[in-house]
Amino acid sequence: MNIQDIQKNGVTVVQFSGSIDALTAPAITEHLGGLISSGQIRLVVDLGGVDFTSSAGLRLLLGAVKDARAGGGDLRLAAVQPDVMKVLKISGFTNILKLFENVDDAVASFG
Amino acid sequence: MTPSPVSDKSGQTMTTNRIALVIGSGSVKCAAALGLMKVLEHENIAVNMVVGCSGGALYAAAIALGWPVERAVEATLRMWTNDITAKKNRRALLQLVLPGLFKFDETFGLIDDGLINRRLREGYQGTTFSDAKIPLYITATDLYNGDQVVLSEGDIANAIRASISIPYIFPPHKLNERYMVDGYQSDPLPIGVAIREGADLIIAMGFESPYQERITSLMRYNLQVSSVTSNNLLKTNFAFHNLAHHAEIIPILPEFKHRIKLFDTDKLPYVIEEGERAAEAQLPYIKKLLNG
Repeated sequence: MNIQDIQKNGVTVVQFSGSIDALTAPAITEHLGGLISSGQIRLVVDLGGVDFTSSAGLRLLLGAVKDARAGGGDLRLAAVQPDVMKVLKISGFTNILKLFENVDDAVASFG
Repeated sequence: MTPSPVSDKSGQTMTTNRIALVIGSGSVKCAAALGLMKVLEHENIAVNMVVGCSGGALYAAAIALGWPVERAVEATLRMWTNDITAKKNRRALLQLVLPGLFKFDETFGLIDDGLINRRLREGYQGTTFSDAKIPLYITATDLYNGDQVVLSEGDIANAIRASISIPYIFPPHKLNERYMVDGYQSDPLPIGVAIREGADLIIAMGFESPYQERITSLMRYNLQVSSVTSNNLLKTNFAFHNLAHHAEIIPILPEFKHRIKLFDTDKLPYVIEEGERAAEAQLPYIKKLLNG
């Protein structure tokens, strides 16, 4: 899995594509964990290229958002695709995460 | 999860992981599980256990008993027709008006359950859990303490009857000295049972309860309140199970463009097709996980 970071107005935008599952989750978890521990706690995860998430994806998102918030930042989601949105909705994650239609809006939301 | 795929004698893909299929509540929509099974069978993916709740219990039982899709459809068409709610329970109506005089109690249900009981007995022909080809778990809810009750032995028709006891409509079912109501009351998608039974990869087919377009009667009001509660319960339990499970839960959430009502058995082919479609969409990930 290719994971890419882009810096935008003091926010780190993390991009990757494909699926988030038990096979890909460890690399993503490690990547997000590395960013947070290095102080990059204003994070936007661009899910525009992600078409599936399993329970492993939910677990990693929750872990990362808790760590980012504990450090005073946040992890926000952008461009969530319909199949992933269904899973986020049915798990109640849409109540605890901030979601935006696109990356620019998500970045702007950090003010 | 690092499974090691091997083939068994029938050529089905077996892995060191235990695969569970969980079918949630959703009345006729639960037949989408037959579409899912068609896809898994086509790919030679063997399921090691099945868990069913409410409408999902009907199909979980059919799958565990090894019924072909055609037989399950035929059985649904025979058992699940709208005349099962045609005969009102007169005593219940009197209990509503004069609860003291007619001794309102835990057996309350507006519909006489004689016909549904008979249909289930005929449909499942006295089969028991020990007749199942793979372990089968059916969930109901204890009316008195709200506990989820996991049924895994005895008469299958009896267990299904307990699991589909829609509150107010069907009387609670007395089984093992407990009054049981619909399984959805404790968990509309009982993934926890599969986790407890040691499943690794859990394929979970769930359905949100439909909301009423207009509330014009006490019954519709009841169904609406019930949908609100069960949908919220579905979300909280689903989140908890996803976070609690050590391995993978693959959600399969069919989408129905047409509204499927409680007795829309004429829409079974469409429902099965949607189940197939939803399963095919997740198939690449299931296969990827199974193949490591």
